[in-house]
Amino acid sequence: MTAYFLVVLIVVVVFDGFGDVFDRFNTERLLDVAALRTAWLTDVAEFVAALGNPWTIRILRWGTILALVVVKRWRHLFVLLGAILVLEIVTYQMTIALARPRPLGVEIIGSWEGFATPSRPVASFAGTLVGMLYSLVIPGRPRNIGKWIAGVAIVTLAVSRMYLAVDRPTDVVYAGIFGVAVVLVAFRWFAPNEAFPVAYRRGKSAHLDVGGRRGEAIVKAVREQLGLTVLDIKPVGLEGSGGSTPLRLRVAATESEPEQNLFAKLYAKNHVRADRWYKLGRTILYGALEDETPFQNVRRFVEYEDYTLRLLQDSGLPTAKPYGIVEITPEREYMIVTEFFKGAVEIGEAEVDERAIDGGLRLIRNMWDAGLAHRDIKPANLMVRDGEVLLIDVFFVQVRPSPWRQAVDLANMMLVLALRSDAKSVYEAALDYFTEDEIAEAFAATRGVASPTQLRTEMKRDDRDLLAEFRALAPEREPIRIQRWSLRRVGMTAWVVAVSLFALLLVISNWNVFS
Amino acid sequence: MLGVCLALLTSCESRQLQQVTCEPGDASLILVAQAVPTATLLPCITEFPVGWIFGGSEIRSGSVRFWLDSDRAGLQALEVSLTRQCNFSKAVEVTPGADEAGTRRFEEPISLPPRFVANRYYVFEGGCVTYRFAFNVNASPTLSFDVDEALSFRPRAALVEEMRKQVGLELCGAGASPCPG
Repeated sequence: MTAYFLVVLIVVVVFDGFGDVFDRFNTERLLDVAALRTAWLTDVAEFVAALGNPWTIRILRWGTILALVVVKRWRHLFVLLGAILVLEIVTYQMTIALARPRPLGVEIIGSWEGFATPSRPVASFAGTLVGMLYSLVIPGRPRNIGKWIAGVAIVTLAVSRMYLAVDRPTDVVYAGIFGVAVVLVAFRWFAPNEAFPVAYRRGKSAHLDVGGRRGEAIVKAVREQLGLTVLDIKPVGLEGSGGSTPLRLRVAATESEPEQNLFAKLYAKNHVRADRWYKLGRTILYGALEDETPFQNVRRFVEYEDYTLRLLQDSGLPTAKPYGIVEITPEREYMIVTEFFKGAVEIGEAEVDERAIDGGLRLIRNMWDAGLAHRDIKPANLMVRDGEVLLIDVFFVQVRPSPWRQAVDLANMMLVLALRSDAKSVYEAALDYFTEDEIAEAFAATRGVASPTQLRTEMKRDDRDLLAEFRALAPEREPIRIQRWSLRRVGMTAWVVAVSLFALLLVISNWNVFS
Repeated sequence: MLGVCLALLTSCESRQLQQVTCEPGDASLILVAQAVPTATLLPCITEFPVGWIFGGSEIRSGSVRFWLDSDRAGLQALEVSLTRQCNFSKAVEVTPGADEAGTRRFEEPISLPPRFVANRYYVFEGGCVTYRFAFNVNASPTLSFDVDEALSFRPRAALVEEMRKQVGLELCGAGASPCPG
């Protein structure tokens, strides 16, 4: 970013003070090119110059936008739109600020519009091609080939415009660099390939590619930081995980332990950003139900999860034993490594008998007694092994939660258990650990955002209305309101609405930029 | 912040907000000269009469357009265009003003009050300038007299000479030495 602003600054300053020197230099170069003019070469140049025609750019941009919508690559789409908008606005403003006429001293034989520096068609074309490359083309060999093709196309357009003497060499060079830089920086900054790889296979955006250089970095980091030799890395449970990349690491035997599998969760900056947006969304939709302060960086993200794992272990709760934090890229990517529950099955696929029901309810009771709430009780986070219910993904655990949150944990656990059994059995088992009033409060509190998405989806799939069944079994209780109003919520909502409206207006007002 | 952003809202339109003035060295006027290189005279703004402001411009190879807004005659009440040629077959020739030497002036009333619409043509060697008046309903046609105050012509040759002195380069076209290429 710094380099890009410096380039802008230097060019503005240099052109303002030394425009005439540049003019003479440019004219000499253009005269050299003009000396080559022939009828057929002029025809070719005019044909090539059509690459910078608004219609060409319009088709390329709309084609890219359409393709991104089809493949639902929303982040890339918004980055592309934002980058193009910035590119067009800044380029346009620079042409006005610099107010450089078309080349002097040589006959202009092509079409042009407005001031010359920087060349808007070249900047638009270059930016569009880079946008296409970084949003549509798979990184690696295909993108490298694409870069060469794009480079040749941009240079060809630039040369044709110089041949026609509508642009000076400095106009096209600067425009080319600027067009490429703006879009490239936007993609590297807001949709880095490591976090948002362009791929044509199914998968969530939160899931990072663990092959190639990242895979090598993981192996090296685990060896250096945990003293374990990774033999194999395999993504697992991607369907139930939206906030990180869950992995199974097969590690070699050590002096104290045999060869075994470990569980790992890989976090990157995009997960921190996702967490921030998630909390912002919750604050706007429901108010400050609980602590909605976002994490500031990835390091704190994993530090918190490591802390909660150790806290649950210390409290005697059945969670995975933590092995520690692994730094993959400082301040960018971290991995938390834990025990892998060998032979455990996700509760959604396990047989849930009396023992499992009892285990699940006891787990919640113990969390209540320890002053903790899991806050993400759903099938994907509960494993069953030999009838014992195990808890995973403890990132959302809260210490000293509100009674409302603890009540919600109970209701969610009862719903998860009932999905694989029935409401009556679960209710009766729950009476061993909780009073009727506590259960009634739990179901009075459980609505909307209180239940994780996966649990709500599973409940919708189930023919029974489990929530109603539980409410019928428990003593009657008025629903607990979950909306919390505050000045902060009103302010944030107003701000988000204003920014959204502004963005919409910006797009509408500059529609010609996109089209 | 919001003000800056709102200011940017209009920035991407192809219309420019840079005025085409008769001031020596005016960059927009050089661009006008390049747009229609055959034109020996170039239309430009000398000063704004009370109630008139610059509206915008479109300068591209082959044609130039800029317009003025009036608080009484309305937005884009006057549009000035410069082209190589224009069709003034329905217009009547009148005597040009003292500062319009070297031109032939034609008037073409299109509609009379309450809504005044008319075209005025200045035809000269290598070019034609059209003034299109399109006033709001009930705006007085006498406002068109303001235009005589606001607009003028600069000889292209003067600009050619300026460029020679300033940058030592030829502003190719009428009044300049033949350019290579």
